[in-house]
Amino acid sequence: MPTADTDLAWSAEHPGEPLISARRLTKHFGAFTAVDTIDFDVRRGEAFGFLGPNGAGKSSTMRMIGCVAPITSGTLRILGMDPATQGPKIRARLGVVPQQDTLDTELTVRENLYIYGRYFGLPRAALGPKVDELLEFAQLTDRANAKVEPLSGGMKRRLTIARSLVNDPEILLLDEPTTGLDPQARHVLWDRLYRLKQNGVTLVLTTHYMDEAEQLCDRLVVMDGGRIVAEGSPRSLIVEHSTREVAELRFAPGQNSEAARQLAGVLTGARERVEQLPDRVLLYVADGEHALSRSHEIGLSPISSLVRRSTLEDVFLRLTGRSLVD
Amino acid sequence: MSAAPDPVRSSVWQIVEYNAHAARAFWQSILIVGVLTPLLYVLALGVGLGAVVDSHSHALHVKYLVFVAPAFLTAAALQIAAAEASYPVMAGFKWQRTYHGMAATSLTTRQISDGQLLWVGLRLLVNSAIYLAIMACFGGTERWAVLLAVPAATLTGLAFAAPVMAVAATASSEGQVFNVLFRFVVTPMFLFSGTFYPVSRLPEWGRWLAYISPLWHGTELARGAGIGGIGAIAVLGHVLYLVALLILGIGLARWRFRARLQR
Repeated sequence: MPTADTDLAWSAEHPGEPLISARRLTKHFGAFTAVDTIDFDVRRGEAFGFLGPNGAGKSSTMRMIGCVAPITSGTLRILGMDPATQGPKIRARLGVVPQQDTLDTELTVRENLYIYGRYFGLPRAALGPKVDELLEFAQLTDRANAKVEPLSGGMKRRLTIARSLVNDPEILLLDEPTTGLDPQARHVLWDRLYRLKQNGVTLVLTTHYMDEAEQLCDRLVVMDGGRIVAEGSPRSLIVEHSTREVAELRFAPGQNSEAARQLAGVLTGARERVEQLPDRVLLYVADGEHALSRSHEIGLSPISSLVRRSTLEDVFLRLTGRSLVD
Repeated sequence: MSAAPDPVRSSVWQIVEYNAHAARAFWQSILIVGVLTPLLYVLALGVGLGAVVDSHSHALHVKYLVFVAPAFLTAAALQIAAAEASYPVMAGFKWQRTYHGMAATSLTTRQISDGQLLWVGLRLLVNSAIYLAIMACFGGTERWAVLLAVPAATLTGLAFAAPVMAVAATASSEGQVFNVLFRFVVTPMFLFSGTFYPVSRLPEWGRWLAYISPLWHGTELARGAGIGGIGAIAVLGHVLYLVALLILGIGLARWRFRARLQR
């Protein structure tokens, strides 16, 4: 099983210091500002997430942490080192699962793992057992000698994750790890990531799926337009930025705005509010069922309605006025 | 930071190892092409055309095959270099994205670029050796010095491969630039670099085309090795030209690889 306890030298000397530390970190592409003066710390052993819509600057941040994108300004320290001068040394201790697969389709599953280990200069003799172990971990042992091309999306993703672990990384960077996968494949992948976390690997991931962020992250930052707009645990973000429950009401086309205006009257607490979306009206309230019956009392009859708990999606909507997945 | 973390053990040889792994899937076709190409050229042009040339002219002082074969060997190296440095390199950035995978490891972009060129060099060395062996089988060699045609051809191929790699690392389209490269650079070079006849037979403008072509410099070296009659100054000049082109190309390739993988 991959573990992170192979190289604790730096942490032992610097107890309590974050593994990754960014201050006023900025990335420009020409005139475009992809990442705008963000601050964050990632601590050993935690699962840290960047949540945000496409174009929020998540991938650019990940590429800077992965030492494949020079920073424009600010400071970035990874394992106490500066990516500008010690990129190879840092990368030797990182695992990277990129957004787009970079598997070699001309090679077999086993060869992909083996060659990737060789890129790190790992000795051939040590790689044999390591590769077997990773195949087992990725549940790909029976596909070891198959070519990569015909594998399913979920299998390729698992292989990419297995490959990223070949150098026993202390930090695993995952950029949109489950985008494009079906629900079952996502759950298998989450299970694997959860195991890694149990083994002490620090996970840093980006996602635009709130359920993924809630499942995996101990702590996360919400990004929008290159900036961090909120930070905390999934639970604390929901408590801080949303209400306990949400009542969703769907009205006939064209009636949503009138309904939203009337629904403002059923709100009680100071933090309660109405949010009108193109296809439905959301009531942010402490008690959803109560709000629903109040809406019937004032004479509204939605086509459909439901009550649910607040999620990170609601937090994001609250903070940015937009949905995560358009 | 006194307690040094793991020393970084990545090197250019891992890029060679990767390429060797990838080539294993189609080594038969590499070998067949590597043997068939010299066989066809040596038989058709060397032996066939050579019979006609030899019966009408004594201007060359040697058999036409002996005159032309070292040039074919060099031209073949140039073509392999162009092929290996173009589409496969572009695929590594664009389609397969293998270079992006490599760049995420402790390999540096410079190691990736240099390692890829090193692989091309090793392929050129092997292919040129096979070519020479086939030349020898059909009487295309007369002296031991012809062995030097192998490093000459390899140097020629490398000097051309390096700048082509820089182009491949820059290309963002579907590779139309390579059509232009093959039709308007590689093929004319083959025709105007003294492969079939001495460039002294060309008009003035044609000779200048030859002088800037790496293939002409490589051909002069390989032919000099095969039939002699080349001075030390000339050898030095040709080698210097090719080495200068190679160094420039390595610099360009490193720059473009870095620009593509670190941004």
